[in-house]
Amino acid sequence: MNALAFAWRSLVRQPARAILGVLGVAAVGALLFDMLLLSQGLITSMRDLLERSGWDIRVAATELPGRSGRLTGATAMAERIAALPSAKSVLIVRTADARIERSSGRPIDATFQGVARRSREGASITPPWTVTRGRDARGSDEAVIDTTIAEAAGVDVGGRITLRASCSADREALPPARLTVVGIAEFPFAGPNEAALGGSLETLRSACGGNAADDADLLLVTSAGESRETAAAIREAVPGVHALTNDDVVGRLQQTGFTYFRQISAVLTAVTVTFAVLLISVLLTVSVNQRLGEIAALRALGFSRSRVVADVLSESALIVGLGGLLSLPLGVALASGLDRILKGMPGIPADLHFFVFEGTALAVHLGLLAATALIAALYPMRIVSSLPIAATLRNEVIG
Amino acid sequence: MTPAWLSRVALAVLLSAAMAAAQDAPPEVLISRQLAAEQGLTVGSIVQLAVDAEGTRARSFRVAGIYEPTPDPARLGAAPREVRLHLPDLLDLTRPPDVPAGAEYIGNINVALVDPADAAAFSRDVNARMPGVIARPSTEAAGSAGPFRVLERFHLAIAVVTIVAATVFLLALTIMLVDERRETVGILRLIGLPARRVLVQVLIEGLIVAGAGAAFGLVLALLSEGLINAFFQWRYDTALVFVRITRDVALTSAAIAVPLGASATVLASWALLRRSGLRLARR
Amino acid sequence: MSQVVVDARGVGRTFEMPAGPVHAVRDVTLQIRSGDHIAVRGPSGCGKSTLLHMLGCVDAPSSGTLLFDGQDVSTLSDARRSALRLRRIGFIFQRFFLLPMLTAAENVELPLAEAGAPRSERRRRVAELLDYVGLSHRADHRPSQLSGGEMQRVAIARALANRPQLLLADEPTGELDEATGAQIAALLDRVNADGTALVIVTHDAALAGRAARVLTMRDGRIEQEATR
Repeated sequence: MNALAFAWRSLVRQPARAILGVLGVAAVGALLFDMLLLSQGLITSMRDLLERSGWDIRVAATELPGRSGRLTGATAMAERIAALPSAKSVLIVRTADARIERSSGRPIDATFQGVARRSREGASITPPWTVTRGRDARGSDEAVIDTTIAEAAGVDVGGRITLRASCSADREALPPARLTVVGIAEFPFAGPNEAALGGSLETLRSACGGNAADDADLLLVTSAGESRETAAAIREAVPGVHALTNDDVVGRLQQTGFTYFRQISAVLTAVTVTFAVLLISVLLTVSVNQRLGEIAALRALGFSRSRVVADVLSESALIVGLGGLLSLPLGVALASGLDRILKGMPGIPADLHFFVFEGTALAVHLGLLAATALIAALYPMRIVSSLPIAATLRNEVIG
Repeated sequence: MTPAWLSRVALAVLLSAAMAAAQDAPPEVLISRQLAAEQGLTVGSIVQLAVDAEGTRARSFRVAGIYEPTPDPARLGAAPREVRLHLPDLLDLTRPPDVPAGAEYIGNINVALVDPADAAAFSRDVNARMPGVIARPSTEAAGSAGPFRVLERFHLAIAVVTIVAATVFLLALTIMLVDERRETVGILRLIGLPARRVLVQVLIEGLIVAGAGAAFGLVLALLSEGLINAFFQWRYDTALVFVRITRDVALTSAAIAVPLGASATVLASWALLRRSGLRLARR
Repeated sequence: MSQVVVDARGVGRTFEMPAGPVHAVRDVTLQIRSGDHIAVRGPSGCGKSTLLHMLGCVDAPSSGTLLFDGQDVSTLSDARRSALRLRRIGFIFQRFFLLPMLTAAENVELPLAEAGAPRSERRRRVAELLDYVGLSHRADHRPSQLSGGEMQRVAIARALANRPQLLLADEPTGELDEATGAQIAALLDRVNADGTALVIVTHDAALAGRAARVLTMRDGRIEQEATR
């Protein structure tokens, strides 16, 4: 009977204790797995979101797109960028706050995105939304809305909405704008409870009373080649702007807003592993102490020191191994719940996830579990390794 | 003896010279500790502040002091390079030349009340008197800060999972420990002690052990609090407090741990006591 | 002349205790040959079990020389001593020390598996041993399902698994009634008759009376040696 089979029989001998030990490891392992998913999840998800948008460079007035500050002379700037050999297409994006009137109840607060396209002939341009029903807004006074607005306002494709835009920091009283809904769309960068609508830049400027300056919040650029080279070319062609590749944006976010989650995941990973090591070590130590007579007898029968040590290590490996396997589906379920909680944070896009499955996270998880099994077994291994056979046998008789 | 009128003239000249010198001296600013360390600035250093990287409308200021900025958890990892100016200096610096003085606006006004308990009433009064202005107590503002509410729920979820895992392990351990005494329990049952009597004994022991364990756990938590805060404050060069064990937290932990520990022992013993005394006492 | 299995010369064992050293065994000189049947008697605390442990290489002498099959045991590493106990020495304990989660057959199989015997050989030998001790019909029963006498018989089978030269028994009938004890005594006689040297530590006068040599110990020394 090898050490693993022997360990299995030792566990099965006390099924309640074994099951509880495995379940405990599963719960702790699930938490550990989730913290590993969290450590890179946000970055992975954001990178994926940025890449799925179809744009690989973001040009903004500030270091981090979305912060205050606009690009002035946006049209000329976009044309200059579109003329670069390394740029394929440019999308001018301007946003404004909008209040959509309803027949009853409070108006709906929404974000209105107005876009204008500049591209080489034949190059396709994707707007920062995905139309799921109907068609994209092309003409003036056309808009696509998200399902939040559609449901709250009771409007569908072909219907009309009335909104009042707020386009500057100053107090305004702009006339209402009536728009035709030509499509229902998903806005990947909108939060789950945020309302968003999109249309042409001309439509937005019209809603802003025709007074909006030729400025933009963002220029989205698609490269013809390597995005880093294109970004460098843009910075040279248009001094003073911040041209960030998707990697740059992710890098910036990693240093600022997202760093908290990396740190909390590191702290919780350390705490979880320590917790698991301590608990499994206590479990094994108590188990070994209860079997000292048996172990001494086995040593007297000729079992080598390495063999009895291997038995203890195998028992640890079995508890942690079985618990670790169970921790994976538990971890996925827990991650789903925790992700739902964290996505309640304001400003988080609906398509952004905090917990993203990655192969490296799984590999690290398995590695940490293996280390846990080994470290937790060290003390009980030392007990059996240094067990005084004769004294233990004597004590068993006296006891 | 100096004539009195000469003394008064001399004093006036001195005062004028002092005032002129004060007017020529650059205005004072406070800078954050991190900015001072990064730029090698000290109290008394003269700095140039401008509205953009090109140095538009740059003006000189004198560093009057270095302060520790209020740590912002949302900006962890980013060194706070901050400068605090007197409001008129800031308005002067940032106002475009074509905008007349007095046309600026500010975002917030912080008010410290004589009696903080008046905050809600004071806010209502301001809101009624000044339409277009929103006044609210700062505790409300903090509470309505969505990210922290979400984080609170997140941490609570983590805590619940940890407690579940700990409870499972605790049950496993108590089953083992109770099983060690099966022979004793069997003999006690054989000589006539009722199961309830044994359970009461076990409950008392469980409460003592759980209480001691909770106290030890609290000490461990306090030690960890210090270590975690020290490490991350060093790591991120911040005064942010990452872990804080309040009286409520300590009491809640004890209120969960002690009954859990005692219950686990009683449950494990109850399972054991369901078997006959003879079976328990037999080796 | 039969071969010398164990040659103990002036062997002693001292335990350092807080209250001062305890000389459990003092200056014991003893030879055990193959086929010997030796009983060791004496009052509690006289050093019988300590002597048995040293003979079985479970404990090391503090003084003197102990040779097993001509090898000085004190020069052997822990691994070599374990190997010695596995293949050349068998142990039987007062409290049986059967592993409760294994069946009788699996308990007997343990030393064979540890010695690396192939599976077919292990199965054959286990069946042979259980038959030898009269428990073939109890092969798949766990210790909790066996009586005291049956457990001790399984323990004897286990001790004989690797055909040891020397079988050491520490109070083998200590937890058994008289009748059962007599059965165990008869089994041990048979083991000895089949060629295994046997050393038994016992309070049981009847059991001791079956031995060819009876050593009486007192205060760590062999006070008297009687030969039947």
